Amino acid sequence: MSTLIMIDQAPYGAWTGREALDMAFSLAAFDQPASLFFTGAGVNWLRQNQEAGGIGQKSVEKNLSAAPIFGIEAILADRAACETYGLDENSLIEGVTLVDADAALLNDYDHTAFAG
Amino acid sequence: MATIQTLHILNKSPDHPRAARCLEMVSEDDGLLLTGGGVLFLATGHLSGPGKVFALSPDIDARGLGEFKGSNAELVDFARMVELSLEANRVISW
Repeated sequence: MSTLIMIDQAPYGAWTGREALDMAFSLAAFDQPASLFFTGAGVNWLRQNQEAGGIGQKSVEKNLSAAPIFGIEAILADRAACETYGLDENSLIEGVTLVDADAALLNDYDHTAFAG
Repeated sequence: MATIQTLHILNKSPDHPRAARCLEMVSEDDGLLLTGGGVLFLATGHLSGPGKVFALSPDIDARGLGEFKGSNAELVDFARMVELSLEANRVISW
């Protein structure tokens, strides 16, 4: 059974996104196929050069870099949302696949769940 | 600098419904202070309304938005944020 975890909220404002990330990593660690999909303001998780020390947090960019180690199958990002937030190949972290957010995308997964 | 009538502190990202409501309320003599997810407005560029715009620098750095620091917002640190809230005649925390 494959699971898609959707993150549609901006990083740092709430803990729900990090909790969803933990859920995805846990699934992957137990060999359950899991992928992450970032849409809306959630695409801002995927920006390079996040320096969160000034607000007393760890950067979510570092969190995300552990995804391949846990065996997350794919990190997907909504192409249109990336354009809205000025994100392109040069400013996105490595390993992100741009996709169009439509019903066909969700058909590939048995289970889709939102963060928060 | 002229006194700020109302300081609107916006910590909601551009996707949040309250962000649009906030921007509608900003008048010419007001200040708009972007904090938290609000600094993402620097990336979307959807800030054409009246009022002076400020943005909290540590929140910009946290989100990797350094390349947008040259946009039309005045960058402030935590100390300046406190000063602004005291200078303004009133504050709305969105």
